[in-house]
Amino acid sequence: MVSLPDELLAEVDAEARRTGTTRSAVMRRFADEALRRRREGRATAMGALLRSSAPRGGRAAEQVKATRPGP
Amino acid sequence: MSLLLDASVILAALDSDDAHHEAARALLEDEGVTLSTLDLARYEACNVAVRAWGAPEAAAPILEAVERLAGDGGVIASTQPLLAAATELAERHGISVYDAAYAAAAEARGLRLVSCDERDLVANGLARLPADARAA
Repeated sequence: MVSLPDELLAEVDAEARRTGTTRSAVMRRFADEALRRRREGRATAMGALLRSSAPRGGRAAEQVKATRPGP
Repeated sequence: MSLLLDASVILAALDSDDAHHEAARALLEDEGVTLSTLDLARYEACNVAVRAWGAPEAAAPILEAVERLAGDGGVIASTQPLLAAATELAERHGISVYDAAYAAAAEARGLRLVSCDERDLVANGLARLPADARAA
C-alpha cells in the first residue's frame, strides 16, 4: 500500500489519463526512471573517480584483514 | 539487481594491481545495478589507504566512492540488531564479526554481497566475487 498526498495523486492520475494507462503503471514508470537516473549518476561519478586508480600492491581483502585492530 | 559491496571491492577498484581490479571497476560503473555498502567500509578502506598503502591521500577518493554509494543504494548503519546477527554468523562460520557484519547486512536487506575475500566470505557461500556478482 502506497500513500500519496491528494495533490500528487491528482497529478499522477492526470498523467495516466494523458498517456492512456493506469495509475499503477505511471507510478511504476516514475519509480523506474528515478532509480535509473540515480544509478546512472553513481556510475558516471565512479567513472571519473576511478580514473585516479593507482598501483597499490593488490590483495585488497588480505589488506583489509591485516589492518583491522588486533586482539 | 541490488548488490552490497564490502571494503575490498572499493579498494580493488582503486588499485590497478589488484587481481579483481577490472571486475570491481566495471561493477562500480555499471548503470544496471543498484549498489550499497556498510558504514564499516569507510573505516576499513581508509585504514588500508593509510596503514597498508602508506597513501593517506587515497582516503579522499575512497570516501567519495562511499558517498556515491550512499546516493545510490545507501550506506547501511551497523545497528545493534545487525551486529547481533553478525555475531551469530561469525560464530556459525568461524569468521570475524567484521566480515560477518557485511553478510548480515546483505541478508537483512535481501541483497547479494560482493567481496574479494575468497577465503572467508566467498568460500562460505556468503558472497560472490566481483566478476561473478551479476551471474544468475
